[in-house]
Amino acid sequence: MTTFIAPSTVRNAGKTLTHKSWCISTSKLPISNSGEIDAMTSALSLTPPEMIFGHNSISLHHLPSGFRILFNSFDALDLVDKTGETGLLKVSYSEQWQRMRDKVAELKDVKDSVKAFDWTYSTTYRGTVILSPAAAELVEKHGYRHVVAEGLDASGDGFTVDEKAEIPFDKLRRPDPILLFDEVMLYEDELADNGIAMLSVKVRVMEERLLVLMRFFLRLDDVVVRIRDTRVYVEFATGEVVREYVAREAKYADVKKGFAMYPADEIPALMRDPQNLVERLPVVETIREKIVKS
Amino acid sequence: MSDLDRYIQLLRSCKPIPEASVRELCYKARELLIEESNVQLVDAPVTICGDIHGQFHDLMELFKVGGDVPDTNYLFMGDFVDRGFYSLESFLLLLSLKVRYPDRITLIRGNHESRQITTVYGFYDECMRKYGSANVWRYCCEVFDYLALGALVIGAGPSIGGDDHAELEVIQTTGEAMRYRRAENGGFVTVTDRSSNNTITSKPRNPDDNDDGDDDEDTDDTTPLRVLNSGHPTGTSAASTFSPPSHPQSSAILCVHGGLSPVIGSVDAIRLLDRKQEVPHEGAMCDLLWSDPDEIDGWGLSPRGAGFLFGADIVKTFNHANNLSLIARAHQLVMEGFKEMFDSSIVTVWSAPNYCYRCGNVAAILEVSEEGGGVVRSSGERGGGVVGGVGGGGWEVKMGPGRRYRVFEAAPQDSRGMPAKKPQADYFL
Repeated sequence: MTTFIAPSTVRNAGKTLTHKSWCISTSKLPISNSGEIDAMTSALSLTPPEMIFGHNSISLHHLPSGFRILFNSFDALDLVDKTGETGLLKVSYSEQWQRMRDKVAELKDVKDSVKAFDWTYSTTYRGTVILSPAAAELVEKHGYRHVVAEGLDASGDGFTVDEKAEIPFDKLRRPDPILLFDEVMLYEDELADNGIAMLSVKVRVMEERLLVLMRFFLRLDDVVVRIRDTRVYVEFATGEVVREYVAREAKYADVKKGFAMYPADEIPALMRDPQNLVERLPVVETIREKIVKS
Repeated sequence: MSDLDRYIQLLRSCKPIPEASVRELCYKARELLIEESNVQLVDAPVTICGDIHGQFHDLMELFKVGGDVPDTNYLFMGDFVDRGFYSLESFLLLLSLKVRYPDRITLIRGNHESRQITTVYGFYDECMRKYGSANVWRYCCEVFDYLALGALVIGAGPSIGGDDHAELEVIQTTGEAMRYRRAENGGFVTVTDRSSNNTITSKPRNPDDNDDGDDDEDTDDTTPLRVLNSGHPTGTSAASTFSPPSHPQSSAILCVHGGLSPVIGSVDAIRLLDRKQEVPHEGAMCDLLWSDPDEIDGWGLSPRGAGFLFGADIVKTFNHANNLSLIARAHQLVMEGFKEMFDSSIVTVWSAPNYCYRCGNVAAILEVSEEGGGVVRSSGERGGGVVGGVGGGGWEVKMGPGRRYRVFEAAPQDSRGMPAKKPQADYFL
């Protein structure tokens, strides 16, 4: 394949830190090129988002056991609905379009949604877990989703559901020095200017603990707002790894109503910032899990 | 110095001009644009550019790479505003250049040149921030309604010049140039590989010092050119799907922001639209600014429930019926700055490097040479002809338009007058 990117322009801006038997690393590179996107399209059977950071990731690696949890765009997109079986969202004015298609003779040959898939890229991804070096080989060979689904790695994902597993936010509020911080984009799509779908991850490592937050944010204008947060917390002294997934969702109009006291022309900006929205969205699903790695 | 030249000088240094001046400039621009057809005719040579999105410093980089107005004839395919931090300066600079040199710069409308979209994606907020009122935004929106919907580039030559009859050249940010020619199967083969600072009317090389122009050697190199010929690597592309038009020398390039429309069968049909309005939510005008090519057969509705997708057969039929050699469009981000599809019947040109200041992509501009202007003249043996009968079988291969992609990177951080955006360590929870 002819590559059109001058090698000098491509450098990884990621970071690595080895701290208390964990290696924390981030990878940050430009968006994928056309060849990579073609390969991804056929491997995933869906059209990837327009900004796809195929080389980006954040990885937490427990060195003594080989346990690893990482966050990457491929595995995240693999969990997006590729067939439309869950019922697909439509843009706010799609009914208007449907009516027009019925009226205009030239449009009778236009096929309906040639490739139905969840174009909002709403994923239920909570990270890719690799339990051991042997599991890493299986994942390499068969793909992550397949390995977990087929139970090829007998212990599956390794986490145990534990309703009492809570992230100690009080400890995280302390201004302990941050040894490593990074934020990495996994994908982003402007939904043809109907809002935004975005998956990003950030990590901060302190002396005693670390926290990862992966956030999927969807704002489909005049339709829906979704935030799906996955947090991974590691307490180095106990080897406790807590994973918490919280999905929130509300109708766009309901969220907008909540900003009624603000001037009308400030509302679009408020609706753009997930930090403003997260507390206003009702929780629709929570999963708490734990695993100990000492 | 006239007022207009003073505005241009101010805007070139990324400084906004007073509200009253914006009003005057927009008024003059409207008077000029109202006379333009929906599909502006543009003579080659011309440099075709894709989305800018308010990335002012990168627009300056574009002018550095492509040459300044009025020395270079430019065609911008819309999406001047939104997303970036300097939509206002970017759009007003292009507009003032348009008013100053109307025959040297053509602006066509993108889907972001709309009241509704700019309210959501940044331009409105930027005007409010910089002027404290929505007046400037309103003046600009009135201009948007008068922008042409497309352009037809005529008089393009079949090759970019040089004795190798290369149809296409890609010049990387490193200055490295790759030249390509059509193979018999419709794919591309590299012709030669050399460093180049050529301009579109560069002097052809002397055949005597040509050490790599051997035909056999050239055609042996069947490097698949993925970016140029997605899904059809050279060697497997079916020759039967490749149908050269009957008038290869006089065919034109249609430039639109988005793509084709199922209700538009000809370029003339675009000319009949009433364009002086806000971009509607549906219909021909909307499609021209919004639709995307895709690897499908025929027409398809986007899974979003609005917006059309069109396949290779649609583009080839349209090009043939309208005697077009190429459709140039923008609208979609491409990591490499450009992407040719469907046997090079359509190309996406993207001119916003490091889009949104975080994608890390390069950008490109497309230079189209004028007929006869770029081909061999010194030897006098050919005046812009078609290479026929390659391989002795009488097989006719279409050439052209002769085109050169210049790839460029984002402006260096220190030229932006703002600090590098480094992720700030934050105590997120």
